[in-house]
Amino acid sequence: MYDLVGHFLLFGIIIIGALIVPLLIGRLVRPKLPTPQKDSIYECGEPTIGTSYVQFDLRYYVVALVFIVFDVEVIFFFPWAMIYGGAMHLADSRITEATRTELSAKMLNTPVAELASENVIGAESAYWLGLTGLMDVLVFFSVLLVGFAYVWKRGDIDWVRTVMKERTQPTPHQDLIPPTKTPEKQTVS
Amino acid sequence: MNFLPIATNIADYLRDSLGLTNGIAMVLAAIIHGSLLVAIFMGTPVFWIWGERKIAGRIQDRMGPTRVGGRFGWLQSIADGIKLIQKEDLVPPAADSMLFRMAPYMVCVASFATFMVLPFGDTWVAVASDIGLYVLVAILSLEVIGIILAGYSSGSKWSLFGGMREAAQMVSYEIPLAICAIIPVTVAGSLNLVEIAQLQSGGFQNWLIFNDPFTLVAFFVYFTVATASCKRAPFDLAEAESELVGGFHTEYSGMRWSFFFMGEYAAMFVVCAVASILFLGGWNSGIPPLDATLNQMRGLSADGSFEPMAYLANAIGMGILISKAWVLVFVQVWVRWTLPRLRIDQVMITCLKYLIPISCALFLGVIAWPLLVYKMTGGAQTSFASPKAENWVKPAVSTPDEDAETSQFILPNSTPDDRMAVADDDRKVAGGTR
Repeated sequence: MYDLVGHFLLFGIIIIGALIVPLLIGRLVRPKLPTPQKDSIYECGEPTIGTSYVQFDLRYYVVALVFIVFDVEVIFFFPWAMIYGGAMHLADSRITEATRTELSAKMLNTPVAELASENVIGAESAYWLGLTGLMDVLVFFSVLLVGFAYVWKRGDIDWVRTVMKERTQPTPHQDLIPPTKTPEKQTVS
Repeated sequence: MNFLPIATNIADYLRDSLGLTNGIAMVLAAIIHGSLLVAIFMGTPVFWIWGERKIAGRIQDRMGPTRVGGRFGWLQSIADGIKLIQKEDLVPPAADSMLFRMAPYMVCVASFATFMVLPFGDTWVAVASDIGLYVLVAILSLEVIGIILAGYSSGSKWSLFGGMREAAQMVSYEIPLAICAIIPVTVAGSLNLVEIAQLQSGGFQNWLIFNDPFTLVAFFVYFTVATASCKRAPFDLAEAESELVGGFHTEYSGMRWSFFFMGEYAAMFVVCAVASILFLGGWNSGIPPLDATLNQMRGLSADGSFEPMAYLANAIGMGILISKAWVLVFVQVWVRWTLPRLRIDQVMITCLKYLIPISCALFLGVIAWPLLVYKMTGGAQTSFASPKAENWVKPAVSTPDEDAETSQFILPNSTPDDRMAVADDDRKVAGGTR
C-alpha cells in the first residue's frame, strides 16, 4: 500500500515535471499576442450565443447510474476470480506436490514454510470450493443481470429514447394529417 | 512465486555504494525508474504519431511524411514537437483558466501512472503489486476525468459535448473492460500481472488466449473495448472532427494540445501491453526452447543480485512484450483508417446491448469451463493443456520470502551480508518443503 501510493505520487510528480519543462522552454520562445478574435470561443466563425455552461440531456445520467450498478458489483468479482482461479489450479490432480503446497500456502495466506501438511488443499476439496464459488457468483451475478434486464426492458439504455417512444405512440388525428414524407427526426447529440 | 522487483535492485545498489538511508534510496530508485518510464511514455507517441501518419498514408495510397529526416520522414514527430513549443498558448477568457490548464496534466498523469504496475519483464516492474491489474484498470479510468475537465472548462459548446460524450462512453465501456480483464484472472488465479505473465511461459499453447474457447473470444472483446476506452476510431466520438470540430480539445493549442495526444498514445500502448500480458503470453516468446533458455538465464539472479545474463534475458523479454504491444497498436491504427466513425447512439448500443451481454456470457462460460472439464475427465484435470501453475514453482526462480524482503527495510542496521544470510536461510527453508 505504502509502495503503491508512494510510487503513484512520485510518478505523478515526475510526469508533471516532464510536461512542465517544454511549456517553460516554450514560454521563452512563443509569442503572446492575444486579440479579441483569437480569444473568442470557436463556433465555426459565428459569434457565440450564450455561455457553454448549458443544461444537457438527462440520458447521460441514466447511463451513469447503470455504470454505478454494474461497476460496483464488478469490483467484487476481482477477489473472487483470484480465489476461484487458485482453486481451479488446485483441483487439477496433475500438479506436483511442490506446486500444490505453494498454491495452498498462497490460498491460505501463510508462508510456505509454516504450512502444516494437513492444511495442503487436495484436488477434491478444491473442486468443491470451486463449485461453491461458482454457485455463489451465479446468485450474485443473477441479481445484477435481473437489474440489467429491467433497465433494458424499461428502455433506459436506448440512446434515442424519446424518438422511440414517439414512434410507438399513435399520432393524434392521424387521419387529418396529409400523407407527406417528413424527414425522420433524430435527437442525436 | 515471490520475486524482487528491479527497484529493489537499484535501491540496494544505491544504499550500498553511496551510503544512503533506506528511505532516500527507495525514493531515488523510484525516480530513476520513473525517468526510464518517461522515456517510454514520451517515445511511444513520438514513434506512433509518425507511424500513424505513415500507415494512414499507405492505406490511402499516399506517401505520408517524406521531408523531415531523410526518405521516410522519420523525424516528423520531433519537428512537430519543436513547432508546437513555439505556438502561442491560448487560454480563452471564457474558459475556467485553472481547470483548463490542469486538464492535460490529469490525462498524462493517469496514463503515465499505469506504467508503475505494468511489468516489462520478470522482475522489471516498478511496483510488483498483488493487485496490479486492479490498480491498473482503476488508474486508467482516471484519464476520462481529464477529458471531461477539458471539455467542461473550455467554455465552448463543442468541447462540452465532446466531454459529455466521452463521459457517457467511458462509463459504459468501463464495464465490459473490467469483465474482460477478470476473465484471464479466473484462469490465472492472480491479479499480479507478473504472475499472470509467468503462468504463460513454455510455449504458445500456454497463452491464456488459447486456454479455452471463451478466452479466445474474450481477447477480441477486450481489444474492441480497449480501443474504445482510449477513444480511438471508430469510437472517437469525443473528438469527432466532422461533427464537433475538435471535441474536447477545440480550444486547446500548442504544447498543451499535444499533451492530450501523448496521453492517448501512451494509453493505447498500455492497453495493448495489458492485452499482451493477459492473453498473449506477456514477455514469453511462445517458442518453448527459447522460453526455457530465457527462464534459465533469469534464474541466475534469483537472489536479487545483479547478473548480466539475467539482465539480458529481461531485456529480450521486454523487447518481445513491446513488439506484441506494437503489433496490437498497429491494428488499432489500421482499424482507425479503415472503418468509418460510428454515431453516438450506435457507440452506446454497441456497448450496452452487445458488448456487455457478450462479456457477461463469456465470464459465465469461462468460470464453468474448468468444472466441466473436471467432470468430463472424471476428476483428473481442470484444463486440457498441461497445468500452468507449474510455471510458478521453479527452484531457480525461488527468491527470499515476503517477510525476509520487508525485514530488510525494517532493520536499519542490517548489512548486505546479513540480508543475504537471511535470504539464504529462507531459501533453505523453502527448499526443504519442496
